[in-house]
Amino acid sequence: MSTLDKVVEILVEAKDLEADKITEASTWDDLGLDSLDTVELVMNMEDAFGISLEMTEDMKTVGDVVKAIDAAK
Amino acid sequence: MIKTPVCDLLDIRYPVLQGGMAWIADAELAAAVSNAGGLGIISAMNAGGDWVREQIRKAKSLTEKPFGVNIMLASPHVEEVAQIVAEEKVAVVTTGAGNPSKYMKLWLDAGIKVVPVVASTAMAKLVVRNGASAVIAEGGESGGHVGELTTMVLVPQVCDVVDVPVIAAGGIADGRGVAAAFYLGAAGVQMGTAFLVAKECNVHQNYKDKVLKAKDIDTMTTGRRLGHPVRVLKNPFSREYGQKEYDSSISDAQLDQMGAGALRRAAVEGDVQRGSFMCGQIAGMIHEERSAAEIITSIMTQTEQILAGGCPWLK
Repeated sequence: MSTLDKVVEILVEAKDLEADKITEASTWDDLGLDSLDTVELVMNMEDAFGISLEMTEDMKTVGDVVKAIDAAK
Repeated sequence: MIKTPVCDLLDIRYPVLQGGMAWIADAELAAAVSNAGGLGIISAMNAGGDWVREQIRKAKSLTEKPFGVNIMLASPHVEEVAQIVAEEKVAVVTTGAGNPSKYMKLWLDAGIKVVPVVASTAMAKLVVRNGASAVIAEGGESGGHVGELTTMVLVPQVCDVVDVPVIAAGGIADGRGVAAAFYLGAAGVQMGTAFLVAKECNVHQNYKDKVLKAKDIDTMTTGRRLGHPVRVLKNPFSREYGQKEYDSSISDAQLDQMGAGALRRAAVEGDVQRGSFMCGQIAGMIHEERSAAEIITSIMTQTEQILAGGCPWLK
């Protein structure tokens, strides 16, 4: 499973989002998620991938998260 | 006598923190609370570094006891102020309005105890992983910037996911509230509104009078439309603002502009019509202007009595 697919799976599972509406270009805003949601999701990603992520202001889109995860692996 | 891990951690007599209220919590209030055995906190709010340094030095001249600085992470001066609290080696830094992770190493290296305000369990876990000594779980009953969860719901859930002391905030201003917070798992409390009316607090008298007069239903939250809800006292300004949030002919920028400077108008000018009087729901229970020492000792005495009496329903 690609990193993107896994990230989408986590988003769908945690926030009841529709998978086909999530693309690499989707921002947190587009998905209707607030700052507390994003903190929770980043923690979920860390657990799922067994990595540690630095949350930065540049992490705005799903694609940014995928990139950060791949870099941390 | 009540003694919790928060007393040892922060080197204070009572496990009571004073909330970092922007435009309100200055060196004099912080020093008064610290001298009374709690932990006073200066609000760095949106201020520049010079003002914050001056306040820290003033507090040091007014008390030998530890005190803290609250860093508002959304401040335009946050980088500078983060550096200054490290240079001045304040005992404690509390943070609000965001994720403090970026600055935590700087503060920890300076020997500062970092105690972030958190509004969710995930944020609590994140900051503890990054070295937080304790967390303040603040429910939406509080004044100013608020999260969605209530104190009753947030505190025990945060206690379940972190292994550091949890300080409860939001809706606490007497011994019943403190005792309840302990039963929820907290080892300390933070109170803002209760100290806003302290004799040593320099906020405009009109602000204090409004808080003292407020009843249970006199606060509301505004700002949801812009994603930053704040709890304020109802007045002509907040009612109008609340209505405009639902007015699609008003742009977000106009709404933002309308809010600019409103807290200052309340706290410094005492403008009861056009000011934004940030205040917790507990204002309805606060009726008296007293010294910080009287506030703390009366609340903690009541807490002891309640805890010593146990639960009257247990047969």
